[in-house]
Amino acid sequence: MAELGSSTAPPVLKLDQVAVAYKIRGGEIEAVQDVSFEIYRGETHGIVGESGCGKSTVAWAVLNFLGANGYVKRGNIKFQGQELVGVTGEELRRLRGDQIAMVYQDPMQALNPSMRLGDQLTEVLTVHRGMDNKEAEKRCIEMLERVYMPDPANVMKRYPHQISGGQQQRVVIAMALLNNPALLIMDEPTTALDVTVEAAVLDLIAELRRDFDTAIMYISHNLGVVARVSTRVGVMYAGEMVERATVEQIYKKPSHPYTQGLIRCVPKLGADKAGSVLYPIRGRVPPPANRPAGCIFGPRCDYVRERCREERPGLRQLPHGSWVRCHFAEEIDAAQWTPTEDILPPSLEAREVPAEPILEVKDLKKYYEVAGSSLKDVVGLGEKRYVKAVENASFVLNKGKTLGVVGESGCGKSTLIKTLIGLEDTTDGEAKFLGFDITNDISDRDTKLIQELQMVFQNPDSTMNPSYTVGQQIGRPMQRFKTVPKNQIRDEVIKLLQAMRLGANYYERLPRQLSGGEKQRVGIARALASRPDLVLCDEPVSALDVSVQAAILNLLLEVQQEFDTTLIFIAHDLSVVRFFSDDVAVMYLGQIMEIGPADAIYAPPYHPYTEALLSAVPVPDPTVEQKHIRLAGTVPSAIDPPSGCRFHTRCPRRNMLPEDGKICEEEVPPWRYATDEHRIFCHIPVETLQKFEPVVTTGE
Amino acid sequence: MLVKDYMTRHPILIPPTTPAAEAQKIMQENKVRHLPVVGDGKRPLGLITRERLRIAPADLGSLNVWEITRYLAELTVNGVMVKGEDLFTIGPDATLEEAAEVMVQNKIGCLPVVEENVVVGIITETDMLIQLADLLGAGVPGARVTVRLPGKVGGYAKIINSISARGWGMYATGSVPAPKREGCWDIVLKVRDVSPDQVVAVLEQVEDCEIVDVRET
Amino acid sequence: MTVAAGTKTQAEPSRWQKMWKSISIVFESRVATVGLIMVLFWLIVGLVSLVWTPYDPNASDFAQNLPPNTTNWLGTDHLGRDIVSRLMTGTQVILLKTRLPGDSNISIPIGVAIWGVLGSLALGALLGLNAGYRSGWADQGIMQVLDALIAFPRIVLYLVVIAALGRGDLVVIFAIAITGAPGVARLARSLAMDIRTRDYIRAAETRGENVWFIMFREILPNARGPLLVDAMLRVGYAIFAIGTLGFLGIGLPPPDPDWGNMVNEARRNIFANPLAVVWPALAISTLVIGLNLFADGLSEELSRYQR
Repeated sequence: MAELGSSTAPPVLKLDQVAVAYKIRGGEIEAVQDVSFEIYRGETHGIVGESGCGKSTVAWAVLNFLGANGYVKRGNIKFQGQELVGVTGEELRRLRGDQIAMVYQDPMQALNPSMRLGDQLTEVLTVHRGMDNKEAEKRCIEMLERVYMPDPANVMKRYPHQISGGQQQRVVIAMALLNNPALLIMDEPTTALDVTVEAAVLDLIAELRRDFDTAIMYISHNLGVVARVSTRVGVMYAGEMVERATVEQIYKKPSHPYTQGLIRCVPKLGADKAGSVLYPIRGRVPPPANRPAGCIFGPRCDYVRERCREERPGLRQLPHGSWVRCHFAEEIDAAQWTPTEDILPPSLEAREVPAEPILEVKDLKKYYEVAGSSLKDVVGLGEKRYVKAVENASFVLNKGKTLGVVGESGCGKSTLIKTLIGLEDTTDGEAKFLGFDITNDISDRDTKLIQELQMVFQNPDSTMNPSYTVGQQIGRPMQRFKTVPKNQIRDEVIKLLQAMRLGANYYERLPRQLSGGEKQRVGIARALASRPDLVLCDEPVSALDVSVQAAILNLLLEVQQEFDTTLIFIAHDLSVVRFFSDDVAVMYLGQIMEIGPADAIYAPPYHPYTEALLSAVPVPDPTVEQKHIRLAGTVPSAIDPPSGCRFHTRCPRRNMLPEDGKICEEEVPPWRYATDEHRIFCHIPVETLQKFEPVVTTGE
Repeated sequence: MLVKDYMTRHPILIPPTTPAAEAQKIMQENKVRHLPVVGDGKRPLGLITRERLRIAPADLGSLNVWEITRYLAELTVNGVMVKGEDLFTIGPDATLEEAAEVMVQNKIGCLPVVEENVVVGIITETDMLIQLADLLGAGVPGARVTVRLPGKVGGYAKIINSISARGWGMYATGSVPAPKREGCWDIVLKVRDVSPDQVVAVLEQVEDCEIVDVRET
Repeated sequence: MTVAAGTKTQAEPSRWQKMWKSISIVFESRVATVGLIMVLFWLIVGLVSLVWTPYDPNASDFAQNLPPNTTNWLGTDHLGRDIVSRLMTGTQVILLKTRLPGDSNISIPIGVAIWGVLGSLALGALLGLNAGYRSGWADQGIMQVLDALIAFPRIVLYLVVIAALGRGDLVVIFAIAITGAPGVARLARSLAMDIRTRDYIRAAETRGENVWFIMFREILPNARGPLLVDAMLRVGYAIFAIGTLGFLGIGLPPPDPDWGNMVNEARRNIFANPLAVVWPALAISTLVIGLNLFADGLSEELSRYQR
């Protein structure tokens, strides 16, 4: 298409200094203070920010979903040249049905669980376009094919709960596109999905944008995902848009200190271990009631000056095209930045530690029995079925090391941890901790043993008991295990709090007064209170914002060095475990597929699953070249796992073996040893595996 | 070169209840000259153009000042739009030539593109002009040569072959029956990275070939 | 994600201020405030009656079946006793004191209704938490037993208990506790089942805490809210129960006046003295409604800030 015509097209959506406020008891809160941006036809505009920055509020304001107490206080929102603020009734309904569509994070919010998918999809067409049912059905099946839904005719007859999360999201996207809207708003549509499924959905979104020429507003807190789908990006902080630029500019030359800080917090795959150090942003997001008078980011900024404290900057354009909300943006050079004392991560040099195994696991199996529903099963005569959650896990963990376990949902990593800590008992296999057998349930274990093996949990909101103060909760393990005499407990707790970089005044606080990051720190303190030898961390940072994640990860590193603890760290994201794990294990459907030193995992030879995982992780760096390997199908059920190698149903490398990988279906693969410590569970010989190209290369 | 590849998707659409004054504002602010009027489900109902918004004095002749003001204030696009028989539309799978034909025959500058009773885009004179310019290689530097040939089979191929035999990149070509010359065809060639003189030298070798115009653009 | 209230360095609020803050939630709700006023009214009446009533409630000093007049503000009953004094004293046994069995005249503080509810709370919480947390066979077993209890009509249960144990304040308390326990257990069980899924319970388990600790120190404090609100409603039911028992004639032993009893006796004389039946009935209903409103409003306020 010629360049002649496109520059004069008006933007599909234009926000101009929009402010959104919510009325609450005794006043109002401005959730969004000043947001301006525009989206043109065929463009994807990403909106990035951490929790509480107001990005979802912006989306709802566009659609007038603010609820009874929200309203657009200032500014105007123009859709296709027409003012949206204040549109109600019939016209709003028509706009929402015909021209603007929204996709949410949780597909179950958009799908009615009691209606068949076919009915829901055709409803969009029959109600808005007055189509007849047959015609509408045909259209819907066509659209489902467009979104690469396997077996669309069958899917139409099913209910939402009968298809997987990734498929549900595809259906929602299909529904949104059925009426060919001019604007599509996507609010974190892939956050709830596994990495490999997310990658496939992101590919789909890119393709659809091309075909339908829709303007897309893509909201996410994940910088990598936004980098992959957007052409332009807006960064929001505490209700304001602080930077707006093209994708390349944002990631290569961020102008606002907050953006620069964010980029430094995001784990990167491309660099080597040393280059993937994370630097958190000090301080915390100010609550809406307490925003500073000057620049909102001022208190956390490395470059803050007098003017920043007094005068709030406006959004202005820099010579190279970005828009920045900063007084001194031209003078800030991200390349010259050095970390200050308080956010300096601990050194990563390998300490000379004698290799002393403290955890030895051999052929660990955990099967859950599936309660049958037929009469035979109730009586006990039916054939027993098992969910084979963990199958033959074997590894050795040395003292002072960190093992990262990575896998998608359903791979058995949480079950593995629960079995080790005793919340579940093992079905078969051996596990020895400090020489003691830990295949039994926790109620059978000795108190001294329990003391040495503790856990950090995933969800910061539910990890603390809401009825007790921080001090009481950290003190409880000390009390129980009698590690410290009663009168010294308080001092010990305060010492721990300080090690967590929390002040002594946190002792009296209740959990509801803490932020997510602080709660997680208390959770870690509680786990460490009894000075355990081994701490199991179940995705401790997945529920936290990126900048807080970085701080917690650094804290864990520090803690490990100071207290000489061994860690097992579970994550679903390969990039997160990279910089601080010594060893990494990759799990799939209950099986460990690859395990070895961290550096070895991220370079060939790879297990085909590791390769697919690495190519699916969204990398927030446009200069990085990433291979494009997508897994077909979905994760099979663990009740009837595939025979032989469990990955054979989806393995993209099957064809490297004779007869299209027949051996993968028939025989359990052997362990291939790339080095003494790095082994891969695959039929393909190591020499062939070594020939794979690296998935991620920095194109410089 | 079908309509669907060159139309503007997601044009600005207005409901029939939009006041005429508002429609005018929209056109002005967004620098568009045509606004399709749609109902539920983007059903095409009519088209508003600048022309349509000009109220003929004859209509207002019988009203006094106050009535005129009220009439104008209450006037919605429904009352003034092109609709029904007068509304021409085209399908997305039609060729550009067909669209051009419709536009010329009916002296209109814009066609809403309608598929299954839903407005999916809009194609205007400007889009056509852009296409014409593209066709002839506008904006690309090179030698532009117009050649006239008698209407014999194979003449075209000879021209093309002589250029490609030299290994030159032909960026665009268009051919039309020669204006003012019966039985002859004019062919416009845009050749890249070559000086016009070189092209002329080659073309003169081809039989029956008459160089009508040479320039560097 | 919650955000902390900022690290302002101001003085920690005093204990009174903290208490006031938690109590003042009540005043946010008009419904709860009205309910509170009604309950407080009766409490105060009861407290006053401990030291003073217009006349002796048990003395038949007046003419029988008098309508309200200047000496007897609400009139007299069929035995010539002043109704106002009887009403006031009736509050005591419900809310304020329980008489111990035997001939001694000792009473322990806190009325029968409240002891009964506390009993049902304790028993119900014990059973419900066990059922909810342990689940499996313990759950099934306990709930089946409780279901069986619920299947009995209440009055039948009361009769059984009283027939077995005789009359007396303590017996009534026991009866109320037994009939109230299944409802409380149900509530406690569902709360326990919900709270059981939280990570802090997991954390307690990984510390090897024993089951009783987890139930009573980890789960119960977080189940307090709904249980307490439910308990307040139950005081209302208990008052009804005492009234019913009194009405049936098997309630608290005479001579101390008891509203249910008063309604019963006045009913028999309704043609002679129609109003005499109204006053105790009004008393029962206002107290129960007051408690209900209070509980209602309070639960609405508490759930407004539900995490």
